[in-house]
Amino acid sequence: MKESRLMLVQYATAVAAVALVSVHLIMQGVIYPYATAISFSNILSIYRNGFYAIFLEALLVVVLVHGFNGVRIILGEFRQTKPWTMWVDAGTVLAIIVTVAYGTRTVILAVFGGAPA
Amino acid sequence: MAVGEERAKNKRGIRGWINPYHYNAERWAYFFQRVTGVAILAYVLGHLGDTSFFVGGPTGTGPSPSAWAFIGSIFENSFGHLILILVVLVLFFHGINGVRLILAELGLILPKPSAIEYPYRPKGLGYGQRVLVYVAIAIAIAAAVWAFLVLFEGMG
Repeated sequence: MKESRLMLVQYATAVAAVALVSVHLIMQGVIYPYATAISFSNILSIYRNGFYAIFLEALLVVVLVHGFNGVRIILGEFRQTKPWTMWVDAGTVLAIIVTVAYGTRTVILAVFGGAPA
Repeated sequence: MAVGEERAKNKRGIRGWINPYHYNAERWAYFFQRVTGVAILAYVLGHLGDTSFFVGGPTGTGPSPSAWAFIGSIFENSFGHLILILVVLVLFFHGINGVRLILAELGLILPKPSAIEYPYRPKGLGYGQRVLVYVAIAIAIAAAVWAFLVLFEGMG
Protein backbone atom coordinates (compact mmCIF):
# COMPACT_ATOMS: atom_id res chain seq x y z
CA MET A 1 0.00 0.00 0.00
CA LYS A 2 1.24 3.52 -0.75
CA GLU A 3 2.65 5.47 2.18
CA SER A 4 0.06 8.23 1.65
CA ARG A 5 -2.74 5.67 2.02
CA LEU A 6 -1.10 4.24 5.15
CA MET A 7 -1.03 7.73 6.66
CA LEU A 8 -4.73 8.06 5.88
CA VAL A 9 -5.27 4.71 7.66
CA GLN A 10 -3.31 6.15 10.62
CA TYR A 11 -5.51 9.25 10.77
CA ALA A 12 -8.77 7.32 10.25
CA THR A 13 -7.91 4.85 13.01
CA ALA A 14 -6.85 7.77 15.24
CA VAL A 15 -10.26 9.44 14.91
CA ALA A 16 -12.05 6.11 15.43
CA ALA A 17 -9.84 5.32 18.43
CA VAL A 18 -10.62 8.67 20.09
CA ALA A 19 -14.36 7.87 19.85
CA LEU A 20 -14.11 4.20 20.86
CA VAL A 21 -11.61 4.68 23.70
CA SER A 22 -13.74 7.55 25.06
CA VAL A 23 -16.78 5.26 25.29
CA HIS A 24 -14.63 2.49 26.81
CA LEU A 25 -13.31 4.86 29.50
CA ILE A 26 -16.78 6.24 30.23
CA MET A 27 -17.93 2.65 30.84
CA GLN A 28 -15.09 2.17 33.35
CA GLY A 29 -15.67 4.96 35.80
CA VAL A 30 -18.53 7.23 34.80
CA ILE A 31 -21.54 5.04 33.91
CA TYR A 32 -20.53 2.32 36.38
CA PRO A 33 -18.33 2.71 39.47
CA TYR A 34 -14.92 1.16 38.75
CA ALA A 35 -15.41 -1.77 41.16
CA THR A 36 -18.68 -2.69 39.40
CA ALA A 37 -17.19 -2.16 35.94
CA ILE A 38 -14.45 -4.76 36.47
CA SER A 39 -16.64 -7.31 38.30
CA PHE A 40 -16.88 -10.69 36.60
CA SER A 41 -20.67 -10.63 36.27
CA ASN A 42 -20.72 -7.14 34.73
CA ILE A 43 -18.02 -7.98 32.17
CA LEU A 44 -19.79 -11.20 31.25
CA SER A 45 -23.06 -9.34 30.67
CA ILE A 46 -21.20 -6.79 28.53
CA TYR A 47 -19.53 -9.44 26.38
CA ARG A 48 -22.83 -11.24 25.91
CA ASN A 49 -24.53 -8.07 24.76
CA GLY A 50 -23.95 -8.45 21.01
CA PHE A 51 -23.58 -4.73 20.38
CA TYR A 52 -20.87 -4.23 22.99
CA ALA A 53 -19.00 -7.39 21.89
CA ILE A 54 -18.80 -5.90 18.37
CA PHE A 55 -17.75 -2.59 19.92
CA LEU A 56 -14.90 -4.29 21.81
CA GLU A 57 -13.77 -6.11 18.65
CA ALA A 58 -13.76 -2.81 16.73
CA LEU A 59 -11.79 -1.17 19.56
CA LEU A 60 -9.28 -4.02 19.44
CA VAL A 61 -8.71 -3.77 15.68
CA VAL A 62 -8.62 0.04 15.54
CA VAL A 63 -6.20 0.45 18.46
CA LEU A 64 -3.83 -2.30 17.33
CA VAL A 65 -3.73 -1.15 13.68
CA HIS A 66 -3.11 2.44 14.84
CA GLY A 67 -0.49 1.38 17.40
CA PHE A 68 1.56 -0.94 15.22
CA ASN A 69 1.27 1.35 12.18
CA GLY A 70 2.55 4.14 14.45
CA VAL A 71 5.57 2.03 15.44
CA ARG A 72 6.13 1.31 11.72
CA ILE A 73 6.14 5.06 11.01
CA ILE A 74 8.66 5.67 13.82
CA LEU A 75 10.93 2.87 12.60
CA GLY A 76 10.60 4.21 9.05
CA GLU A 77 11.98 7.54 10.25
CA PHE A 78 15.17 5.88 11.46
CA ARG A 79 16.21 4.25 8.21
CA GLN A 80 14.84 4.09 4.66
CA THR A 81 16.73 1.19 3.06
CA LYS A 82 14.65 -1.31 1.10
CA PRO A 83 15.37 -4.37 3.32
CA TRP A 84 14.68 -2.38 6.49
CA THR A 85 11.38 -1.10 5.12
CA MET A 86 10.40 -4.59 3.96
CA TRP A 87 11.15 -6.20 7.36
CA VAL A 88 9.40 -3.41 9.27
CA ASP A 89 6.31 -3.67 7.04
CA ALA A 90 6.24 -7.48 7.34
CA GLY A 91 6.74 -7.29 11.11
CA THR A 92 3.92 -4.76 11.42
CA VAL A 93 1.46 -6.94 9.50
CA LEU A 94 2.49 -10.02 11.49
CA ALA A 95 2.20 -8.19 14.83
CA ILE A 96 -1.27 -6.90 13.94
CA ILE A 97 -2.46 -10.36 12.83
CA VAL A 98 -1.13 -12.14 15.94
CA THR A 99 -2.43 -9.60 18.48
CA VAL A 100 -5.83 -9.13 16.82
CA ALA A 101 -6.17 -12.94 16.67
CA TYR A 102 -5.35 -13.25 20.38
CA GLY A 103 -7.77 -10.48 21.36
CA THR A 104 -10.48 -11.87 19.09
CA ARG A 105 -10.04 -15.26 20.75
CA THR A 106 -10.81 -13.62 24.12
CA VAL A 107 -13.95 -11.97 22.71
CA ILE A 108 -15.15 -15.18 21.04
CA LEU A 109 -14.56 -17.33 24.12
CA ALA A 110 -16.23 -14.74 26.36
CA VAL A 111 -19.29 -14.57 24.08
CA PHE A 112 -19.62 -18.21 23.06
CA GLY A 113 -17.57 -20.07 25.70
CA GLY A 114 -19.20 -22.47 28.12
CA ALA A 115 -20.88 -21.49 31.38
CA PRO A 116 -18.49 -19.90 33.91
CA ALA A 117 -16.40 -22.60 35.60
CA MET B 1 31.05 19.51 5.80
CA ALA B 2 31.37 16.30 3.75
CA VAL B 3 28.19 14.74 2.35
CA GLY B 4 28.55 11.69 4.65
CA GLU B 5 28.95 13.87 7.75
CA GLU B 6 25.96 16.03 6.79
CA ARG B 7 23.88 12.89 6.29
CA ALA B 8 24.96 11.40 9.64
CA LYS B 9 24.10 14.70 11.35
CA ASN B 10 20.59 14.58 9.90
CA LYS B 11 20.00 10.90 10.81
CA ARG B 12 20.39 10.86 14.55
CA GLY B 13 17.55 8.40 15.27
CA ILE B 14 16.55 8.15 18.93
CA ARG B 15 19.59 10.29 19.90
CA GLY B 16 17.90 13.07 17.93
CA TRP B 17 14.73 12.65 20.00
CA ILE B 18 16.41 12.77 23.39
CA ASN B 19 18.69 15.71 22.71
CA PRO B 20 16.51 18.67 23.71
CA TYR B 21 18.97 21.28 22.31
CA HIS B 22 17.04 23.82 20.22
CA TYR B 23 13.69 22.23 21.14
CA ASN B 24 10.58 24.38 20.72
CA ALA B 25 6.97 23.53 21.66
CA GLU B 26 6.49 21.69 18.36
CA ARG B 27 9.53 19.46 18.95
CA TRP B 28 8.40 18.67 22.50
CA ALA B 29 4.91 17.80 21.23
CA TYR B 30 6.52 15.60 18.54
CA PHE B 31 8.72 13.89 21.14
CA PHE B 32 5.88 13.23 23.59
CA GLN B 33 3.49 12.09 20.84
CA ARG B 34 5.91 9.29 19.94
CA VAL B 35 6.90 8.38 23.50
CA THR B 36 3.26 8.29 24.69
CA GLY B 37 2.26 6.31 21.58
CA VAL B 38 4.82 3.59 22.28
CA ALA B 39 3.86 3.58 25.99
CA ILE B 40 0.16 3.20 25.16
CA LEU B 41 0.89 0.34 22.75
CA ALA B 42 2.92 -1.40 25.48
CA TYR B 43 -0.04 -0.98 27.87
CA VAL B 44 -2.53 -2.25 25.25
CA LEU B 45 -0.44 -5.39 24.76
CA GLY B 46 -0.38 -5.96 28.53
CA HIS B 47 -4.12 -5.26 28.67
CA LEU B 48 -4.71 -7.87 25.95
CA GLY B 49 -2.86 -10.33 28.17
CA ASP B 50 -4.69 -9.52 31.39
CA THR B 51 -8.17 -9.42 29.81
CA SER B 52 -7.52 -12.85 28.30
CA PHE B 53 -7.64 -14.16 31.89
CA PHE B 54 -11.37 -13.43 31.80
CA VAL B 55 -11.57 -16.59 29.69
CA GLY B 56 -8.88 -18.48 31.65
CA GLY B 57 -5.73 -17.04 30.07
CA PRO B 58 -3.83 -18.37 27.03
CA THR B 59 -5.05 -21.94 27.57
CA GLY B 60 -8.57 -21.10 28.76
CA THR B 61 -11.73 -22.25 27.07
CA GLY B 62 -14.42 -19.92 28.42
CA PRO B 63 -15.33 -17.39 31.12
CA SER B 64 -13.46 -18.20 34.34
CA PRO B 65 -14.19 -16.34 37.60
CA SER B 66 -11.17 -17.95 39.30
CA ALA B 67 -8.70 -16.86 36.58
CA TRP B 68 -10.24 -13.37 36.62
CA ALA B 69 -9.89 -13.20 40.41
CA PHE B 70 -6.27 -14.39 40.08
CA ILE B 71 -5.31 -11.65 37.60
CA GLY B 72 -7.24 -9.09 39.67
CA SER B 73 -5.19 -10.06 42.74
CA ILE B 74 -2.03 -9.13 40.79
CA PHE B 75 -3.11 -5.83 39.21
CA GLU B 76 -5.93 -4.45 41.38
CA ASN B 77 -3.76 -2.72 43.96
CA SER B 78 -2.23 0.72 44.51
CA PHE B 79 0.65 0.06 42.09
CA GLY B 80 -1.71 -1.19 39.36
CA HIS B 81 -3.96 1.82 39.87
CA LEU B 82 -0.97 4.15 39.66
CA ILE B 83 -0.11 2.60 36.29
CA LEU B 84 -3.73 3.14 35.15
CA ILE B 85 -3.56 6.83 36.16
CA LEU B 86 -0.35 7.24 34.13
CA VAL B 87 -2.05 5.49 31.19
CA VAL B 88 -5.00 7.92 31.39
CA LEU B 89 -2.55 10.86 31.52
CA VAL B 90 -0.60 9.83 28.40
CA LEU B 91 -3.73 8.58 26.60
CA PHE B 92 -5.47 11.95 26.82
CA PHE B 93 -2.36 13.87 25.80
CA HIS B 94 -1.76 11.51 22.85
CA GLY B 95 -5.40 11.70 21.73
CA ILE B 96 -5.81 15.48 21.86
CA ASN B 97 -2.34 16.21 20.47
CA GLY B 98 -3.13 13.66 17.74
CA VAL B 99 -6.27 15.62 16.81
CA ARG B 100 -4.05 18.73 16.57
CA LEU B 101 -1.71 16.88 14.21
CA ILE B 102 -4.62 15.80 11.98
CA LEU B 103 -5.99 19.36 11.86
CA ALA B 104 -2.51 20.63 10.96
CA GLU B 105 -2.14 17.92 8.28
CA LEU B 106 -5.43 19.12 6.77
CA GLY B 107 -4.04 22.68 6.78
CA LEU B 108 -6.78 23.98 9.09
CA ILE B 109 -4.59 25.39 11.87
CA LEU B 110 -1.37 26.28 10.08
CA PRO B 111 0.06 29.79 10.60
CA LYS B 112 0.21 32.21 7.67
CA PRO B 113 3.41 31.79 5.63
CA SER B 114 5.85 34.62 6.22
CA ALA B 115 9.30 35.69 5.07
CA ILE B 116 12.27 34.09 6.80
CA GLU B 117 14.02 36.79 8.79
CA TYR B 118 16.96 37.00 11.14
CA PRO B 119 17.39 35.58 13.86
CA TYR B 120 15.74 32.59 12.12
CA ARG B 121 13.71 31.34 15.10
CA PRO B 122 11.51 28.32 14.29
CA LYS B 123 7.94 29.41 13.44
CA GLY B 124 6.25 26.02 13.15
CA LEU B 125 3.47 26.49 15.68
CA GLY B 126 0.86 29.18 15.22
CA TYR B 127 -1.27 30.46 18.11
CA GLY B 128 -4.03 27.88 17.54
CA GLN B 129 -1.65 24.95 17.62
CA ARG B 130 0.21 26.24 20.67
CA VAL B 131 -3.12 26.60 22.51
CA LEU B 132 -4.09 23.05 21.52
CA VAL B 133 -0.83 21.68 22.95
CA TYR B 134 -1.56 23.43 26.26
CA VAL B 135 -5.19 22.23 26.15
CA ALA B 136 -3.92 18.67 25.63
CA ILE B 137 -1.66 18.97 28.68
CA ALA B 138 -4.42 20.54 30.82
CA ILE B 139 -7.08 17.96 29.88
CA ALA B 140 -4.60 15.10 30.37
CA ILE B 141 -3.84 16.32 33.91
CA ALA B 142 -7.58 16.78 34.65
CA ALA B 143 -8.31 13.25 33.36
CA ALA B 144 -5.51 11.82 35.50
CA VAL B 145 -6.97 13.57 38.56
CA TRP B 146 -10.40 12.11 37.66
CA ALA B 147 -8.81 8.65 37.32
CA PHE B 148 -7.19 9.09 40.74
CA LEU B 149 -10.57 9.96 42.28
CA VAL B 150 -12.25 6.97 40.59
CA LEU B 151 -9.53 4.47 41.51
CA PHE B 152 -8.46 5.67 44.96
CA GLU B 153 -11.50 7.56 46.27
CA GLY B 154 -14.28 5.38 44.81
CA MET B 155 -15.85 8.16 42.74
CA GLY B 156 -17.67 7.40 39.50
